[in-house]
Amino acid sequence: MTGAKPDTGRPEWDVKSEDQSRLAFGLAVGELARRDDKVVAISADTIDLFGLRGFLEASPHRLIEAGIAEQSAMGMASGLATTGMRPILCGYAPFITTRSLEQLRNDVAYANQRVVIGAACGGIVLAMAGGTHHAVEDLAIMRNMPNMTVIVPADARQTWHAALATEQLDGPSYIRLGGKFAEPPVTEIAADFQIGKAEQMRPGGDITVIACGCMVPPAIAAADALTGEGIGVRILNMHTIKPLDREAVLAAAADTGAIVTAEEHRTSGGLGGAVAELLAREQPTAMRMVGMPDEFAIVGPTARVREHYGMSQQAIDTACRELLA
Amino acid sequence: MTSNYEAKINALREDALNIRRNVWRALRGAGSGHMGGSCSAADLLAALYFDHLRLRPQEPNWPGRDRFVLSKGHANAALGAALARAGFIDDSVLDQFYAYQSPFGMHPDIKMPGVEMSTGGLGHGLSVAIGMALGARMQGKDFRTVVMLGDGELQEGSNWEGAMAAAQFKLSNLTAILDYNKIQQSGPVAEMQDLEPLAEKFTAFGWAVREIDGHDMAAIVEALDALPHAADKPSMIIAHTVKGKGVSFAEDSFLWHNNLVTDEVYEKAMAELGDGA
Ligand SMILES: Cc1ncc(C[n+]2csc(CCOP(=O)(O)OP(=O)(O)O)c2C)c(N)n1
Repeated sequence: MTGAKPDTGRPEWDVKSEDQSRLAFGLAVGELARRDDKVVAISADTIDLFGLRGFLEASPHRLIEAGIAEQSAMGMASGLATTGMRPILCGYAPFITTRSLEQLRNDVAYANQRVVIGAACGGIVLAMAGGTHHAVEDLAIMRNMPNMTVIVPADARQTWHAALATEQLDGPSYIRLGGKFAEPPVTEIAADFQIGKAEQMRPGGDITVIACGCMVPPAIAAADALTGEGIGVRILNMHTIKPLDREAVLAAAADTGAIVTAEEHRTSGGLGGAVAELLAREQPTAMRMVGMPDEFAIVGPTARVREHYGMSQQAIDTACRELLA
Repeated sequence: MTSNYEAKINALREDALNIRRNVWRALRGAGSGHMGGSCSAADLLAALYFDHLRLRPQEPNWPGRDRFVLSKGHANAALGAALARAGFIDDSVLDQFYAYQSPFGMHPDIKMPGVEMSTGGLGHGLSVAIGMALGARMQGKDFRTVVMLGDGELQEGSNWEGAMAAAQFKLSNLTAILDYNKIQQSGPVAEMQDLEPLAEKFTAFGWAVREIDGHDMAAIVEALDALPHAADKPSMIIAHTVKGKGVSFAEDSFLWHNNLVTDEVYEKAMAELGDGA
């Protein structure tokens, strides 16, 4: 996992089927650093969380260890960016958002600096860790930062593409990642990835499910089951929450007349909120939102806790049926 | 003939062994966990829960109780073990670590009896403890507040805001204990963001500082018995410890900050720890 990987035409992480987006992001850090000598990684005691040990050993001068000090890390990232460096801040989603929020708002977003924030363990990936370690408000917070690009890749492959795509951005970006377990690959290896352009994963004319991140696989499973019953379900993988793909949402509303959103986030302010705000203004459409209710989550195994709060294929299926009834 | 004092120290060593064994038990049940920082803190927690703190386990919300905040919340397995032995929670809860709907997750939750504050995000406990100590003083109450900090945790700037405030308010009813095991998540503290010279820093901030061996039970008890270490200052006990203390293959290594615990590893650890009998 070093910056200098052999050019096999396939990203090395893609060899494994059990991919983890946090590790794909770490590999992309190495790739970005190889392409651009201004790229520098910042860790907040998160080296192994991002699989950056090889990168650190190969290029110790390209990794700044801030210690367990997210506020300081965020401020340093901004300062580095003002000098022309390309900092990539590698943190835990729950801490790198709320802990360093004022630095993020003022020094990074307000000052509009080119800082890439990789946020591992988004959502309730750390369900067993309790509410201090859940990030189910991060998308709402990040969406409310002017200048910020907000991306939730659906799998490791898409993470790779998303991280590389930040090269083109002039402002800050936030990429929400998973944790220490496999995320089933759902996107194509060579998929065309464009920030702000939703990926249609299934066609369909009766209803649309707009999902992001780990909710994409259950959305596809729900759609495939409904398709078996003769119901056409369009699936949009809305990997970019901001800027939202207006055209794709409005077309889905016009074509199918019913929209379900699915995200590992509270149902206010995130993907569902973004879609609802757009539709309320431009094309009021019947909606259901699948996500966390206005609660702090219980403790437990992640899959079980996702089900507990209705972030599941079952919940998407129920939401679709309600709208179609 | 052993004196009462020696008997007490020996009993506390038993308590610490019990905590360590139950840490491994909880982690095996969960399949993984923060072994290193839980076991480095075991002797300190034993002295706190079974000697120093004034508590009523049957009446966990007794207003006069001393307050303990585990700021390095990821050592919750050790806190849970202490709370179970003290009688705040049922022993069976220790088999519910990380489990569905369990009150006993990776980090302390204020909803569990005996837990004074939900922690887990590092760098919160000191200021919360300062609030508790201020609350005692403002209401004329004599309960004492103790907060346990991690060394990596001290890299969070909030600790230094709290360090200033506690001295400003002359909080002699507040004690911070640093579990100084020298290792954080990704490596040695000194190589990541060094804290040294640490005793000098806290002294300069206006604290009464004492350094002890955090695995020497007599030294721990002596330091706690001598509190407050100054009449008009908060007390800082810098306890030098070993991460993962008690099991050779897990000692002194960042790899055991948070690691998988299989049945096989568990059996090896138990064999090393012994049952103390
Ligand atoms: C604000 C925040 N940032 C990061 C983490 C992730 N984290 C949990 S434990 C840990 C290392 C803690 O090191 P230390 O304080 O030395 O604990 P100990 O060695 O006693 O276990 C980190 C980085 C966290 N819990 N909170």
